[in-house]
Amino acid sequence: MSAHDMPTPDTAPATATGPTTDALATAAAPVASVRGLTVSLRRQGVRSPVLRGIDLDIAPGEILGLVGESGSGKSVLAMTMLGLVPRSARPRITGTVHTAGTDMLHGSAAQLRAVRRTRLGVIFQDPMTSLNPTIRVGRQITEVTGDKGEAITLLGAVRVPEPAKRMRSFPHELSGGLRQRVMAAIALAGRPRLIVADEPTTALDVTVQAQLLTLLADLRDEFGCSVLFITHDLAVAAQITDRIAVLYQGRVAEIGRSAHLLRHPTHPYTAGLLGSRLSLSTPRGVALPTLPDDSVPVTERLRGCAYHTRCPLAVDRCATQQPPLEQVEDTGGQRACWRDSGAVSDVHDAVVPAGGLAAHAEPLGARAADPPGVAIEVRGLTCQFHTRSGFGPRHTVHALQGVDLDVRAGEALSVVGESGSGKSTLLRVIAGLTRPTGGSAVLRGTAQMVFQDAGSSLTPWLTVGDLLRERLRIAKVPPAAATGRVDTVLAAMGLPSSVLSVRPGELSGGQRQRVALARAVVVPPTVLLCDEPTSALDASLAASVLNLIREMRRELAMTVVFVTHDLAVARLMGDRIAVMAHGRLVEEGDAQDIVTAPADPRTRALLDAVPRIDGPADRPEATR
Amino acid sequence: MTGMTVPRRRFSLSAGEKFLPADRIVNWALVGVLVLTTLVAVFASVLAPDNPIQPVGDLNLPPLSPHHLLGTDNLGRDLLSRTLIGLRASWFSALAVVVIGLLSGGLLGVVAGAFGGWVDGLLMRFTDLFLALPGALVAIAVNAALGPGLIHTLIGVSVVWWPYYARIIRAEVRGLAGRPHVEAARLAGVGRLRLIRRHILPGVVPTAVVTASLDIGNVVVLLAGLSFLGLGQSAPAPELGADVQNTLYLLLEQWWIPIIPALTVMLLSLIANLGGDALRNLLEGDR
Repeated sequence: MSAHDMPTPDTAPATATGPTTDALATAAAPVASVRGLTVSLRRQGVRSPVLRGIDLDIAPGEILGLVGESGSGKSVLAMTMLGLVPRSARPRITGTVHTAGTDMLHGSAAQLRAVRRTRLGVIFQDPMTSLNPTIRVGRQITEVTGDKGEAITLLGAVRVPEPAKRMRSFPHELSGGLRQRVMAAIALAGRPRLIVADEPTTALDVTVQAQLLTLLADLRDEFGCSVLFITHDLAVAAQITDRIAVLYQGRVAEIGRSAHLLRHPTHPYTAGLLGSRLSLSTPRGVALPTLPDDSVPVTERLRGCAYHTRCPLAVDRCATQQPPLEQVEDTGGQRACWRDSGAVSDVHDAVVPAGGLAAHAEPLGARAADPPGVAIEVRGLTCQFHTRSGFGPRHTVHALQGVDLDVRAGEALSVVGESGSGKSTLLRVIAGLTRPTGGSAVLRGTAQMVFQDAGSSLTPWLTVGDLLRERLRIAKVPPAAATGRVDTVLAAMGLPSSVLSVRPGELSGGQRQRVALARAVVVPPTVLLCDEPTSALDASLAASVLNLIREMRRELAMTVVFVTHDLAVARLMGDRIAVMAHGRLVEEGDAQDIVTAPADPRTRALLDAVPRIDGPADRPEATR
Repeated sequence: MTGMTVPRRRFSLSAGEKFLPADRIVNWALVGVLVLTTLVAVFASVLAPDNPIQPVGDLNLPPLSPHHLLGTDNLGRDLLSRTLIGLRASWFSALAVVVIGLLSGGLLGVVAGAFGGWVDGLLMRFTDLFLALPGALVAIAVNAALGPGLIHTLIGVSVVWWPYYARIIRAEVRGLAGRPHVEAARLAGVGRLRLIRRHILPGVVPTAVVTASLDIGNVVVLLAGLSFLGLGQSAPAPELGADVQNTLYLLLEQWWIPIIPALTVMLLSLIANLGGDALRNLLEGDR
């Protein structure tokens, strides 16, 4: 079945203002054009295909979102477009890439440098590593502009307050958001035609993220440059992009106008991504929707459609023939799928819950009899750190400034706040990993912790079996019972018993977090402390880990303290939510109440900044 | 949630990889040379064709002479035999210094790093004290006090060699102790000794092994230098540094007699350095 005899699932939604970007793409020459691009890289001695035939255009003045899970090849695509594929990876590239009128694959080094200097701008995820820490930001901008006045103007343009004063700052003296603005100023310095932004907001707090997204959209309007915006989060892409390209395993699964694609996905993968996204209206009492696990080795995936092993709609043909990227006539988008888009939208509607914030508000994990009493009692807790930079004066960081908190036995409490709010310090003090400066934190029972980065929380040279058995040995579980315990916990985590003989480094990110969780609960603790356990995972993996934590809590009757920066996750994981800011508890209450009726302005700010997928519907269409 | 696969070990040769990349082959080969050198040293007396101390042929035979592959020296002793036995002394001396340094410095470093606080402060100031001693001078002083001899030189060098290891290993232990996996193990209730043994020490081993193997070359050169100055084994015993010194005046007529032991010292140092580098590449690649 090809694209033109598909049913038409929707009536063109954007009759809005001005010509669409698609019209523009045909009218003006694209800023960047990629044709038949394949890239294979050698990593740790093994060559693997990273991009497997990409066709893509970026129109002048357009913001194109590039969305996909980690490993989908989105960063490599960006690097290829910048002519910056690291040579150490021994890239093998076929196809053509033209960026700003230059052949990025065959141009001379001098040509590429010239294009990057004058026509292209880049904003990376971590501004701390992409800015030179030893040079004042003013000089770093002036290096590109060649003129100090111009540099100050640019800093003003990226809304850095007191730009003339900030010129003399070093990168480490600026906040993450300001640093990213400086990066934007440098990117803009050559009056580029294309800015490549690779996960520019991932390391930022939600409120800062919202500001930076607005800034990027404004800069596009002021400077007329195109933006290639790479992100793993569809909702972030929804905020500012005109079009979205969804990448899966090195191929474009679907590409189309954002407003349309997000509401009417035509590829099952996009539908699955949208379905597994956690929002403030995700039902609380039921298991979170997830994509099926990625269970097939890379080599197997290269036959047919890369998604067919996870696809609920897969037919025989999907396993043998690779679907081409074809035009969807009535929307101007393109999709690579053998099934018709009507079938996809049925799946989408089935997975994505309808209803507003108030729906599905039932508390989770309502068990008949919670043990009475208080599991964690925090009184007047303060915690200070001393830092000193270079020969400068000593700074005192007040991580916690008088926190009072009770967690009842069996209760789940989510602690929310921006980075630096003290939420992680609170958890570490409760766990006994950090000594408080004043006050007390009493924990009744035993506690285990799940860390943000599962990989680094598992001893790299011990096998999973060693790690689990060590825990059982300490708890004096007799060896005969231990084996059964290990099997049970692995089964509960959905891990095969073959992981026992494997070291953490050989597992995928999702598997690692499951192993970390398995270690935490193999001897059931009374309190489970979670420090952003899913913030490093792709949406679907995160949802499956959250499901596991909720199941474990229910089965083992644990008290849970769940630290997160994401209010949507906090609402799903906690009976109650505590909001922290600047080392203090600013609001505390029933999870649903906090989300529907926040009392504190800081809670409201956090809530407003949560990126929402329904954003583009309310947002006026981009007029260029 | 079923059917999840676990990737096989990435670096085992059996994991379906058809070939080893070229740089890994080179690295393994260099480590192989390191092992081979040690084997040559172990079997030196078997490999040596003649008695290294007794004259066995004509004087001053050039290299490639029949029965004497590297020729003979000015006293008619077989140079290949002398070189092999001298190599054994150099190599084992260097290994001894490095191993002693690694064990004593390592123990101190681990204790200081793992316990921290005043224990750390005390042990590290003690280490600094020894770090301030000049290596060659201490060796000379020990020889002057206890009489000349290889053992005394080794004592002198060992005394000043361990502090480097203590510092490196302490830093490594401190770094590892702050890692989440150690915190996780602490929360899991792992006791202090077991924490050090199971969750910290294995992480220190690669750094220690690489540092030590890179160091062997330095010690070989230092010991040869001291032996050149007469601080080695006493006269008839073959020793590379001393042999160079004793026959240096022949450099213009029978050049091979001083050059062969000198080149051997250079070769040993080179092998140790290249092998150490290769070892580091292999260990870091596996991380």
